[in-house]
Amino acid sequence: MMFSENHELSEQERTALAALPRELTPSDLLEERVVRALKSEGHFNRATRGRSQWTRAIVRIAAAIALFAGGVATGHYALSQPDTEKQTAPVNQASVSKPVPQNTSGAQTVKNSETVVAEREMWL
Amino acid sequence: MTVSLAVTEKSSPQMLAPHGTGPGIAANADVALVAAAAGGSESAFRELFRRHTPHLLQFVTRVLGASASEAEDVVQDTWMRAYPALVTFRNESSFSTWLCSVGLRAALDSLRKGKRRSTEFVLEDDDAPLDLPHHEDRMDLETAIASLAPGYRMILVLHDVEGFTHEEIALQLGIAPGTSKAQLFKARRVMRALLTGREKHDVQ
Repeated sequence: MMFSENHELSEQERTALAALPRELTPSDLLEERVVRALKSEGHFNRATRGRSQWTRAIVRIAAAIALFAGGVATGHYALSQPDTEKQTAPVNQASVSKPVPQNTSGAQTVKNSETVVAEREMWL
Repeated sequence: MTVSLAVTEKSSPQMLAPHGTGPGIAANADVALVAAAAGGSESAFRELFRRHTPHLLQFVTRVLGASASEAEDVVQDTWMRAYPALVTFRNESSFSTWLCSVGLRAALDSLRKGKRRSTEFVLEDDDAPLDLPHHEDRMDLETAIASLAPGYRMILVLHDVEGFTHEEIALQLGIAPGTSKAQLFKARRVMRALLTGREKHDVQ
């Protein structure tokens, strides 16, 4: 093949270059090699991973709502407790002995003791 | 003057449009496959791979002047770079052209890292006298291209085989269009000398 000395390619040269093969068949393993390498870097199945991420997010939101509802219910229950105690207080007072006053003075204590003694003597 | 073939790493792969490339059915199919592959579809990626790897492998083999098995490592590297960048593909040129631009960067990096050559890969000196090869026998065109110095080979393959313009080559390689023209002129002279064998002296 004779190539010209011109700066531009001759027709023969163009033909020779155009006749060069444009494709080269890769080895059978190359595709698997590339796919495996891409997978090892976390590519592919992004849709599945996306779904699982959405599922996780929904579960987290549901758990947060459940926690919040639980907290509200507990708070509501705690607030309703004093009312219940008030309603049941007369019943309890009747069955429970009268507590001894803590802030009574010494004279009052003596007077109370005398009253108790007087009552005992009356019964005896 | 010695010019390193420096490709800007920050920029995304440039869209080069070789002559005669136009949108068509295959291009539309490529766009759909690219979108599906970028969305995580392995089957779409495999289809894309099967469509474009033969041309990519041939291109990389010529640019490197390497055997197909050596070039396969660079092809793998190309796909590893191209896959995460699929979302940036805008169909402004054919997918094959876009992929070749990614492949060219991978090939340049391979040459720079000295996987194939121990010396730094540089464009040939524009001012130095042309050192024509001394081969006794004529070479076939493919062997002659593979025998060229890396700088000459790359410009010749991009321009004369793949059909890129000097402006596109300059953009891709980060050099001036004039440098590309000068390199091509010298590359053709060396290639002609290789092809004519003993007639090299007539060429000089």
